[in-house]
Amino acid sequence: MDVFIIGQAIHPPAARIGDKRLEELVFDTAHAALADAGVRRAQIDHVTIAGCDELDGRSISSMLLAAPAGAQLRDEMKCTDSGLTGLCVEAMRLESGIFELGLLVSWCKPSTAPLEDVMRMRCEPFYTRPIGLNMAITDGLFAQAAGAEYGFDEYGADEAVQDCYRRASHNPRGMRHAVPGVADIATSPYVAAPLRRAHQAPITDGAVAMVVVSGDWLKRNPRARPLARVSGIGWRNEEYDLGRERLAGLKSFRGAIGDSLGRAGLKDCGALDLIELDSQTGFHELAYRAALGEQAPAAISPSGGAFAQNPYFCTGLINAAEAVLQVAGQAGPVQVAGARHAMAHGCHGFAQQGNVAVILESA
Amino acid sequence: MMGKEIVALIGTGQTKFKTHYADKTYVELAQDAAKLALDDAGMEPGEIDAVVFSMAPTQFMGVNDCDRWATSHVWGAGKPFMRIHAGGATGGSALHAGYIHIASGMYRNVLVVGADRVAETPDAQHVLNLIWDRFYEHDFALNTVTMTALAAQRYMSRYGMTEEQFARVVVRARKNAMGNPYAHLRGDITVDDVLNSPRVAYPYKRFDICPRSSGAAAVVLSNLDVAKAKCSRPAFVNGVSAITHSVFMGDRMGVYSDTEFSDHDGEHIAAHEAYRQAGITDPSSQIQVAELYDPFSTFQFPMLESLGFCGRGRAAAISDAGGWDLHSGHVAVGPSGGTLCTNPIGVTGLVRVVDAANQVMGKSGQNQVKGVKNTVATAAGGSTQFFTVTVLGEDYTAPGKSVGGAQQ
Repeated sequence: MDVFIIGQAIHPPAARIGDKRLEELVFDTAHAALADAGVRRAQIDHVTIAGCDELDGRSISSMLLAAPAGAQLRDEMKCTDSGLTGLCVEAMRLESGIFELGLLVSWCKPSTAPLEDVMRMRCEPFYTRPIGLNMAITDGLFAQAAGAEYGFDEYGADEAVQDCYRRASHNPRGMRHAVPGVADIATSPYVAAPLRRAHQAPITDGAVAMVVVSGDWLKRNPRARPLARVSGIGWRNEEYDLGRERLAGLKSFRGAIGDSLGRAGLKDCGALDLIELDSQTGFHELAYRAALGEQAPAAISPSGGAFAQNPYFCTGLINAAEAVLQVAGQAGPVQVAGARHAMAHGCHGFAQQGNVAVILESA
Repeated sequence: MMGKEIVALIGTGQTKFKTHYADKTYVELAQDAAKLALDDAGMEPGEIDAVVFSMAPTQFMGVNDCDRWATSHVWGAGKPFMRIHAGGATGGSALHAGYIHIASGMYRNVLVVGADRVAETPDAQHVLNLIWDRFYEHDFALNTVTMTALAAQRYMSRYGMTEEQFARVVVRARKNAMGNPYAHLRGDITVDDVLNSPRVAYPYKRFDICPRSSGAAAVVLSNLDVAKAKCSRPAFVNGVSAITHSVFMGDRMGVYSDTEFSDHDGEHIAAHEAYRQAGITDPSSQIQVAELYDPFSTFQFPMLESLGFCGRGRAAAISDAGGWDLHSGHVAVGPSGGTLCTNPIGVTGLVRVVDAANQVMGKSGQNQVKGVKNTVATAAGGSTQFFTVTVLGEDYTAPGKSVGGAQQ
């Protein structure tokens, strides 16, 4: 693919960003990305935004947020699946040949729209809503099914969570949560067995933006210094209904990764230097690692992933921004030495109904 | 000039539209439209490489992110699947998202599908009040009816339109819809019927306003190789463009504004780019059919002017003279009856594309316009701040590099 990232910004996360309206959060992040790229808003020819009305607490939230995202009098497109899906849309828009210089912005401020309330209303009204299904329960079902399939249990999840926090503690762009003891994790209350409260990555507010250009634009602007090339993208969805095969098969995870590897011309994940996983729980971390198997790269989620910061809707795009920093050699204390190929992963929906993978290469 | 790959629309499908579907769930409606489009394209679900789902606010139908529920029903499970949302402009934007899947060279066949059930909520205008700014606008009685009424008043003041002229738009739309078996509202009504319907918000009476519709629509997009093999008469997607404004209406009028709110001139910017891509230099002579996103009778005139079919303030007089009539006009405007007769918000823009494509493909039945070579389909959303313009043609424009995006 002939798509490059020339600037980006990650808004400092917080459990609750209380001193800014959502519009200000979005504007500040978009503005910082443009500044990082050294381009003016007047130069961009399109904007892609990724946001979720329900998590924004507003119908058609782009009405108020498109302009702060830089889209005033620009060709703007909004996807609602996940922030990382937004990067796939943005890459396709550039690859189509119609556009050359774009701004991608995604955000999530769940402190103002409680995640579990939103998720409960994702249940269809006939079968799953009456029984009270929600995100925690679907993640619990996923943990049971994946554990049986891949042979791990909640004790393994306890250790996986601690390891995630340990990596996250070195990430200056994350929350720097204290690293909990395994016993603290193992004795936290159950939310949906075998899933305990401490197995879940803490939700945060946050936002991320990227300036993305075509190869043609880069050739005409040789002074621009690309941070990374987007070499492969892939995204897949699975069934909404939660059967055992759906829960444990990880089909869309494998499919999205396979698509992105194919586009990047890479044989398997062993060709990557690192992968940033969107593991919403310790069980997700174990399941994804098991699915990667022997092909897993040496470094998995050096940033700490969702346990560093977790603005739920755009955590996957935060992973992409971390991967960009890795292949640009700018990841700081969590830098993987010599990283040239990195994959960002994102998931969305009940029990990771959808998965997205994007491969970033050194430019 | 367009994208790297030529994009053809080779199959269309839409359900009948009505207030309620008591016998079908939301996802069954979406499936019906998907099946119709696949059948029309001569395709099996397995031939579809990716799916784009068209859905605007889910608060009308009551299931958050309802596209996830619909994934399997539209044969999207196991495939690349995404949802596009741009308020009322959603259907147009979803079509554009489908377009880039193929124009980028990444996919061969894409299904764009969606459904809406606007009347599931007892008060859609309450939901539409919640789209406004929480601190400054919620507490006004602002909704899409009162918002567009304000714009209509300004348009009337600028150009001297009358309520009778808007009423003729409704009469023409309802008459056209009589030949569209999928339309929600239809009928042989008079200008007096419109003028005597209950007042809602000046200048609107009830008949000036679209219904709350339920139903679904879908199209199959393919690359040129597939189109040649599958379809004897495709509609080529030759121009796609969109423009987004600030939400604040007050910032879009007056001497310091880039644009004029009441003129819907964001659509002019998008049309200019879409026409450039499609090689349209004289819309009035090159485009035979316009399917507009016109949920209110007052939308047609400024939209036709923004699309370049006539000068500012001229569309009403042409309407009075029958210039936009179905079979006898210069350009057939809304031959399907348009959005005034059918408005399932999350897919209305896609319905406009379906109807415009059917005209190119010669599938519009008794509403078929003779000699159609190019059609234009629009969508609009938010505080009339999102506009999409799509140009369809019987021939394709040569692929190549173009630098898109309107700049002010």
